[in-house]
Parts: sequence; structure tokens; C-alpha cells
Amino acid sequence: MKNNRFVLMVLTPIIVLFMTFMILPIGGAFVISLFDYNPVRSQNPFIGFANFTKLLNDRIFVKSLTNTLTFVFVTVALNIAITLTLAFLITMLRSNKLRSLFRVLFFMPCIAPLVASATVWRGLYAVDYGLINNILRGVFHVPAINWIGTPAFVLPAIVIFTLWADMGYNIILFSAGMDGIPTDFYEAAELDGAGHIKRFFTITLPLMGRTFSFVLAMTLISHFQMFAQFQVLATKGGPNQSANVLTYYIYKTAFQSRDMGYASAISVVLFLLIMVFTAIQQRINRVDWGY
Amino acid sequence: MITRKKIHWGQVVPLTILTTVAILVIAPYIWMLLTTFKSTPEIRQNPGKILPINWTLSGYHYVLTESPFLRWFINSVIVSVTVTVAVVFTSTLVGFVFSKYQFRFKKVLFWFILATMMVPYQITMIPQFLIIVELNLYDSLWALIVPALVSAFGVYLCRSFCDDIPDSLCEAAIIDGAGPFRIYWTVILPLLKPCIGALSIFIFLEVWNEYLKPLIMLSQVNKMTLPLALSYFSTARIHDIGSIMSASSLIMLPATILLLVFQKQFIKGVAMTGMK
Repeated sequence: MKNNRFVLMVLTPIIVLFMTFMILPIGGAFVISLFDYNPVRSQNPFIGFANFTKLLNDRIFVKSLTNTLTFVFVTVALNIAITLTLAFLITMLRSNKLRSLFRVLFFMPCIAPLVASATVWRGLYAVDYGLINNILRGVFHVPAINWIGTPAFVLPAIVIFTLWADMGYNIILFSAGMDGIPTDFYEAAELDGAGHIKRFFTITLPLMGRTFSFVLAMTLISHFQMFAQFQVLATKGGPNQSANVLTYYIYKTAFQSRDMGYASAISVVLFLLIMVFTAIQQRINRVDWGY
Repeated sequence: MITRKKIHWGQVVPLTILTTVAILVIAPYIWMLLTTFKSTPEIRQNPGKILPINWTLSGYHYVLTESPFLRWFINSVIVSVTVTVAVVFTSTLVGFVFSKYQFRFKKVLFWFILATMMVPYQITMIPQFLIIVELNLYDSLWALIVPALVSAFGVYLCRSFCDDIPDSLCEAAIIDGAGPFRIYWTVILPLLKPCIGALSIFIFLEVWNEYLKPLIMLSQVNKMTLPLALSYFSTARIHDIGSIMSASSLIMLPATILLLVFQKQFIKGVAMTGMK
């Protein structure tokens, strides 16, 4: 259909909003990263790529970068492995009621604000009154662990929390993908004598290609951007910067030190990281067949 | 309930594993709720006791009387409802235009909108903050509403749903003399119902749970939305665990109850966003 007046009427306000709050800021971030920019100062000189060269010698930046990569890879790998398994176990259930019950239960943490659930987990991890240490002490007779105060344990503690908080989405997406696989494939495999595990690897996994690729991309992108749990569970980057990540470092640099030029440079790095990893992932998981 | 039919051994293994994981998933909720019924001294003195010794509502009482909790709740409702309604309107309308109308630069424009979905908030947040300050919206709820009125994801979702609606329906409406708005309102919107449901849930939760944006856009205590307010509250009352857990549970419960009531729609909605 054609109706240029209508199209113009609808799209003009949308494009104005989009330009102001998306396109302009994206361009702005790259421009600001080339300045020594502090909004409360009157002089903000252009410094070229100096912010980026400064990054190389910034110990906290390097630490945040490695922490971010470690966090993303470990959490996403565990998340995908666990959610695929759980989704498959759910599809094995015969009762529809039980299936939807488990899906809802696993999804529950996803709808809680991360700040709130992370605050609860700060209590769970507490040395004296926390549930986790009580179980360690009472059931396993292991001395209490100062999860949040020990450099070696903060990041694992945040990984465990994030898995708990974020599994539900992927379980639902994966089990929807599995439900879409025609049952005759499984029946044929069963006739051929393939067990559950064999069926999972020869039918479910290969036929889930599109869902898998989509879920992996979304999970990667969202985990690179996680912020709330780092602020709540690792106060000020954690002991010895052990849980400082790029998102937290950007926030701190921009809104506490007001060094917005430098913060923008870090955000550009984060952006490029996300682009590169999703591009690699899309290449590897390229799926051009269906069923 | 286990029925008297013969036990399917093939069901026992998945059921056992799933139940164990489910207990692990629910445990934090149970612990949180039980802790809210304890006084802070009791929490500290009897760490091993799971059940409260002296049941008390003092934590809830403190949150509801000594903090502007109701104000925070209303702020959250205002922002989340306004943004959800606006996004549903803009997404369906723009999705309809991109799906059913031919115009110049259509492909480029759509590609542009899609590409912004890949951009992390961290990259836009600094310039967005400066723009908000420039527009005099800093420290008001508008700072959370105005930039969120259009959603790239929403446009994308609605367009793919519109693509499934046959063009002949729109053409028939034109022959009947309907203008574009009428087609949108009477033909497209009713057919987009499932898509609107999924999109509303998605956007509402996203805005309701938002933390980083309010953190940089708001500063007055009275302007805060719930997640930011909780972080403020738990920093101010850092040692009062009873009140902190009560505040957390008050913030987590409304959405959780909504989920349990509308579970079918929620699960379908999430699955739908992944399929398109």
C-alpha cells in the first residue's frame, strides 16, 4: 500500500524521538570519548585517542576487562548447559501440569528486580546469619566462607546468583524450541532403540539450531551489560577490584568521578566487545536449514 | 498427587532432578519471607534457626511507616504503566507502517532501528544523561519516560506479527472506504492481541525492574522508583536486616503474584518473543 502522508505523520515523531535518544547518543558516545570531558568544567579539550591509550596502562580497566570476560564466559556457558538440560528434562515429563509448574517456578527469579534479589542474596551469603554459611556449618561442617569479602569468592558468588536469577528465560525459550520439534522424529528414534540421552544429542540439539543461536546471542549480549548485582554484591568493585566489571567501572567513572570522556572510551570498548563476540557467535552458529 | 497408575520409571529421574533444582530456586524466597518475620536482633543472635522464634511484623512496619514506600511504589507504577501503554501504541503503529506501506528509505530506516537493539545501554547512557539535563528533565519521572517511548524491540516484534496478517484484509478495508488509522484500529490491532500481550509483559517488567537508568537520572528520594529506592534504603539502614528483607519482599512480591496468576500468558509471551 502507499500513503506517504500517513507514513510521514506516523514516522516523523518516532524518528525525532529515536534520533534524540538513540542515534544522537550513540554518535555522542564516540565523540565524547575523544574529549577530556567533565560536565562541571568549562574547558573540555579535544584529546584525540588519548583516553584509549590511557586505558592500556590503567590497572583497574584491565582488571575489569578480564573480570567481565571471565564472568560472561563462565556464566553463559553454565547457563546454557544447565538450561538446556532442565528444558530437556521438562519436555520428558508426561504431565502437562507438571511441565508448566516447573517452567513457572524456574521463571520466578527472572521477574524480580535484580537489585532486590541481589539484596536478598547478600543476606544469603552473609557470614554470620546467611543461609548458605549456615548450611555449610550445620550440614557439611565446613567453616563459614566470607563470600563477599574474599577476593577469590566474590565473582563465583555473583556467578551463582546470576545463574539463579537468569535461568528461567532460557528454560522457557529452549523448551518452546523443543516443543516445536515434530514428535515423529522422537518416535522413529525410539523405534530404532535410541535412549533419552542419544535422542537429545542426535535430534533435539541439531534441530534446535535457530533457537540455540538466538538464545546464545541474547544471553551473551545481556550478560555483558549486567550491572545491578555487581553494585549490590561487590561494594565498590569488591576487595582488590576482584569483582569490578566494565559496566560498574563506566558508571563509577562517569557519574562519581565525572570523567565522562574516559568513561565513554570504556563504553566504546564494551560496545566493540559485544559486537565482536556476537559476530563470532553468529558465524559459528550459522544455521541455514530447517525442518 | 501421585496417581495409582503404575509408576513410570522414565519419569522418576527427570522429576527428582527437577524437584531438587526447584527447591534450590525457591529456597531464597522462603528464607527471605521467614527472615522478614524476625526482628533484626533475633536474626543476628539465632543464625541457625530457620523459623522465627517471636513472629513480628516490625520490619514491614518500619518500611511502610518510616520510609516513603507508597510514594516509591506510585512512582514505579506511573513510569511503568505510561511507558508500557506508549510502547504498545508506538510499536504497533510503526510495525504496521513498516509491514504494510511502501515508501522510500524503508529498508534503511528499519535496519537502523534494528541495529540499535545491539547497542548496550552503557554506550548511550552518558550522552542521554547530558541530553536529559539539557532538556530540563533531570530528576523527574519524565527522564525515565520520554527516552523509553519508542522501543526498537517492540517495533521489530510488531512488524513480524503484522507480516503474518494478509494484505487482502487491509485492501478490503480500503475498498470499504477506511482510512489508514481506521485500518490500524479496526483491522490490525484486534489481530495483534497476542503480540500486544507479550510485548506489554515484556516492557512492563523491563521498566518496573530498571535500576541503572533511575540511578543516573534521579537524585531526590521522593522521585525514586522501587529498585533504586531499595538500594538507597538498604544502604541507609545497612545493619537493619529485618527491614531490608521486608522492603525486598514488598518489591518482589507484586510481580511474583502477577506471574503466578497470569502464568500461561507470561510463559507464552516469553516463548513468543524468542520464536519471532
